Amino acid sequence: MEKLPLGLALDLRKVVPYKTGSWRTQMPVHVMQTPPCTFSCPINNDIRGFLRILADKENFVDAWNILTRTNPLPAICGRVCPHPCEEGCNRRDLDYPLAINCAERAVGDYAIDKKLDHRKEHITPRQEKIAIVGSGPAGLSCAFHLAKRGFKVKIFEAEHQPGGMLRWGIPTFRLPREVLDYEINAILKLGIELECNVRVGVNIPMDQLTNEYKAVFLGMGASIGTRIEVPGDDAQGVYSGVEFLKEINSGKQIDLGKDVVIVGGGNTALDCARVAKRLGANTSIVYRRTRVEMPALSEEIDEALEERIMFRYHTNPTQILAEDGKVVGMLCVQMEMKEADASGRARPAAIAGSEKVIPADTIILATGQAVDYEGIELNKRDEKWISTDNYLQTSIPGVFAGGDAVLGLETVSAAIGQGLRAAQNIEDYIAGTLQNTLSRPPVVLSKDLNTIYYETQRRFSKQGLPVHERLKGMKEIYSNFEPEEIVKESDRCLSCGLCFQCNNCLMYCPDNAVNIISGTGKYTFDLDFCKGCGICSKECPCHYIHMTLE
Amino acid sequence: MLKQIEGSQAVADAVALCRPNVISAYPITPQTHIVEDLATIVAEGRLDTEFLNVESEFAAASVVLGASAAGARTYTATTSQGLLLMTEVLYCIAGMRLPIVLTCANRAISAPLSIWNDHQDSMSIRDSGWIQIHAENNQEAADLHFQAYKIAEKTFLPVMVCMDGFILTHAFEPVDIPDQDKVDDFLPAFRPRATVDPMYPRGLGLFADPRFYMEMRYIIHRAMEKSENTIKEVHEEFNKAFGRKSGGLLKTYKLENADVVIVAMGSVVGTIKDTIDLLEEKGKSVGLLQICSFRPFPRKQVYQLLKDKENIVVVEKALSLGRGGILGSDVRWSFPRTEQTDRKISNFVAGLGGRDITTDDLAAMVERVEKEHVEFDFLGLNRDLILERDL
Amino acid sequence: MMKTAVEFDKKNLLASGHRACGGCAQALACRMVLDAAGKNTIACVATGCLEVFSGPYPDPSWRIPFLHSLFENSAAVAAGVEVAYRALKKAPVNVLAMGGDGSTADIGFQCISGMFERGHNVLYVCYDNEAYMNTGVQRSSFTPFGAKTTTTPAGNRFHKKDLPQLAVVHGVPYVATATVDDYHDLQRKVKTALSIHGPKYLHVYAPCPLGWGHAGDMSIAISRLAKETCLFPVYEIKDGKLVSVVKIPVKKPVEEYLKVQGRFRHLFKKGVPTTEVELIQEIANQNIERFNL
Repeated sequence: MEKLPLGLALDLRKVVPYKTGSWRTQMPVHVMQTPPCTFSCPINNDIRGFLRILADKENFVDAWNILTRTNPLPAICGRVCPHPCEEGCNRRDLDYPLAINCAERAVGDYAIDKKLDHRKEHITPRQEKIAIVGSGPAGLSCAFHLAKRGFKVKIFEAEHQPGGMLRWGIPTFRLPREVLDYEINAILKLGIELECNVRVGVNIPMDQLTNEYKAVFLGMGASIGTRIEVPGDDAQGVYSGVEFLKEINSGKQIDLGKDVVIVGGGNTALDCARVAKRLGANTSIVYRRTRVEMPALSEEIDEALEERIMFRYHTNPTQILAEDGKVVGMLCVQMEMKEADASGRARPAAIAGSEKVIPADTIILATGQAVDYEGIELNKRDEKWISTDNYLQTSIPGVFAGGDAVLGLETVSAAIGQGLRAAQNIEDYIAGTLQNTLSRPPVVLSKDLNTIYYETQRRFSKQGLPVHERLKGMKEIYSNFEPEEIVKESDRCLSCGLCFQCNNCLMYCPDNAVNIISGTGKYTFDLDFCKGCGICSKECPCHYIHMTLE
Repeated sequence: MLKQIEGSQAVADAVALCRPNVISAYPITPQTHIVEDLATIVAEGRLDTEFLNVESEFAAASVVLGASAAGARTYTATTSQGLLLMTEVLYCIAGMRLPIVLTCANRAISAPLSIWNDHQDSMSIRDSGWIQIHAENNQEAADLHFQAYKIAEKTFLPVMVCMDGFILTHAFEPVDIPDQDKVDDFLPAFRPRATVDPMYPRGLGLFADPRFYMEMRYIIHRAMEKSENTIKEVHEEFNKAFGRKSGGLLKTYKLENADVVIVAMGSVVGTIKDTIDLLEEKGKSVGLLQICSFRPFPRKQVYQLLKDKENIVVVEKALSLGRGGILGSDVRWSFPRTEQTDRKISNFVAGLGGRDITTDDLAAMVERVEKEHVEFDFLGLNRDLILERDL
Repeated sequence: MMKTAVEFDKKNLLASGHRACGGCAQALACRMVLDAAGKNTIACVATGCLEVFSGPYPDPSWRIPFLHSLFENSAAVAAGVEVAYRALKKAPVNVLAMGGDGSTADIGFQCISGMFERGHNVLYVCYDNEAYMNTGVQRSSFTPFGAKTTTTPAGNRFHKKDLPQLAVVHGVPYVATATVDDYHDLQRKVKTALSIHGPKYLHVYAPCPLGWGHAGDMSIAISRLAKETCLFPVYEIKDGKLVSVVKIPVKKPVEEYLKVQGRFRHLFKKGVPTTEVELIQEIANQNIERFNL
């Protein structure tokens, strides 16, 4: 036993600390949770991850690498995605949600600017061949993720160019074609074979695909524009929305006349209206409900309003009027809203005797789309969409499907998400372990955060061209963003559910029981000394530290 | 150099020669000249030290505690109420084994308020772990300080040099104040054992749970007992260096063949010696045992010197209220229990609150103890002043 | 993103292994103070929670020289250390004196006053947990109005002693208050204090889970609430002039602070505040006016 020193004066360098960890009844643990942005994102992009790389290191390359782990089309999504991630963003309860969409676009644009390629070095080639039908977002995503897994992938595209709705359905002022081409090419560079002008089911039978390939992914989209039945819709000058956009996007000239009326409230209707406006027509949108019920993105409605497109709400076409077989106008009836229908939206009902004529030289019925099933036999849902099981497998074993053809009309990101999940499932299917599903950690809600540690900061707002400039042509409205501003915006990320090295746990632990692992910036708990007081958990801004009973 | 100076001045000069690094005092309750004289010495630049006049004796003791823990040779002086106010710190100093030297100009304690001499103040902290050495005269008082530092710094026990207030502190006597070189030769520089120093971080004043406390107190007790040897050695070294027999554990005067032995300490010893001489002329054989070191109490030596004596009388200037004499108890305890009954050990309390002790008083006392064994009594008590109902 | 930058001092000079209760803000505050002061520091500590939990033989938590003597003399002991260093002409060292609110405001105040008056180059740090916690929550002169302690079972009738102001009138060149939740501010004040020659007084607010009746994990939150309700103004006085005040843009009602602590629970009858709460709000209002919070 150590002898007592004179006067009990102790050499402090020789002290063996008393281990207070035995007092503990609860202990802190690090729990990486799902941030609400990732949870809301149909692709489950690691938004927190790429934003932190931007904020901490200003590293756009790594940000792009993180983003393209899930989403191979960031520059496209950064332009056309309705960004449900931002709706999830917990910063909404502090000030404003983070401009995730802009950050994503900036990262995608950076990759285009620097001509970045997807990394191939970790890919182990496999012999299995997979066929992808359709080169829209779902097909591209599925092809990309399968190629990353080493499969031999071949895409069959019906049109002469890849892209599907991205190319034929979205106007260039929303998605410049060089962006589209770059991101598609980047995917194809992974060694994916693309065959255009092949319609599966017509030029090549389904059986052949199922025989030749280990698995098939159907991402054929909803390429047929469907119209509501309006008497007189066979007149010249009546288009479906899909049809109209495809004509325009193929570079064809259409004589729209003076007045263009678009029927519908979805994104296609708005795209049609904005294209027509740019072609110089006097454009109005006819919609039987109100703006609130419109499926189109609020942002896009705002932009359309800025562009002086007229919205006629509570208006429903009853007849298309034609003279000499050519459209001259549309007879419409005024609607009123009744109790909600099955879709949850107020049900419109016609007000008797409120009919009036809207003059029109061109009428675009952007009221729906359908899947082109020609030569493909499989089970359907609601007789419209492809029916799949939980693993996105169709009624034909080994044939998977995703995108608009399965979802009905959904977003680009939803299609990419399904492409990703289909790729994962196809891999499992080939491995024979399809039943496996991954559980996801719980989502961090804003009530879980200790927001005292976050500063309120101005949200990044993108500046578009003035309206008169926009209407001069099909030029993109928003030019590329300043990287510094995007870095600043990224720093607004609250890092929900993941440590961002704020040092609170380190500094607030009364027992110094939190240590930094040198070189990594990560923290560990020293359970020899932790008394389980819970300060670290309470003062963790991002809910990364949880207390559990021992 | 022989100087005709006041006792306080002699002590101040002696302390200055010991080159303390830090002096802190509150020379008020009651006042002593020692600190004032030291202040003058420092102000005149004769001593390079940090002189700190603080707001109370408690603070003075605390300051020297801190300074000593930081490695400084320190000094403070006090008396009476001031010593009582310091008490808490004094225990702490002893427990921390800090070799601080303190001069206690012994005086009475309140109430009633008295500023005159007796030993009740230092007696009240006799159990604190401080070495207590009593001076007979001003020369010894001065000399004891050189020895005190040496004893303290050898044993790591604090030393209290007790000298009678007024009787010595305010008395002018010829005192030999040695040269600095001589003192420096005798008293080497202080080498502390454990200090607060960022280079060698140490924890001082740790708290001890029941596993350690008793051992720590035992160690101090043993160190106190063993310091008897150090006191003796230092005394001998001093004798050799300075040619004077100041200090030590005990001194005797005409003890051999004495029929009656008076045991006492402090300045009253001078009066006792006079009395012994006077009684000798009258044919009486009276001797003296002078206690120099009250703590540690040199029990064995006391026994050795008194074991053949039949009639012993202890005269002391302190009182344990409700118990009696303190020095008397200690002297009795020096004898094995079986031998205590074989002899008369009388005990008188005298001179409280500055009451004079005259040769007549002492002669009367000797006369009385020749006749009877006085277990305990007061010397020179004026019973006419006492109301019976107050007792 | 963070309100605070990520600069800090963390040297663990008050090391793990101390016996403070879980969530003790005093342990935290002391470590922050020592880490800011650095290794070239000697701490003179008064008896109290801090000394008892950090200084038991044989495994104290101090990693800098530590000197404990008594309950009421840490300022005088520190003065002694300081003069000794001067007398021995040793390399300059930071001398800290520390104590809880009892040893500072009550029993040890005389020594502090003397240390201030003599102008020692000592930083006195008071860890204010508003009662004698070590001995079982007895009232001190820092106990706030209304608080329940074991010696004020019906709530304290007296108002808290304004010791920082007393330090100012002593002519102390640097007087500051701080809280543990803002360690940048706290550590900056320690460094500022140590850069000034002469006596310094730093008053650190240190919630006590045991004595105040709150969960251990609430120490930081309560410390912040004290600031936000303006019951504990955080400021800095140099040479008698108020040089900085932590402004409270959104002032919270004192109820928010009182309701989370057991020691104020009796001020609410079935959740309804009694008149005492109004009086406490009045204290906050006076602080707001006085410091222009």
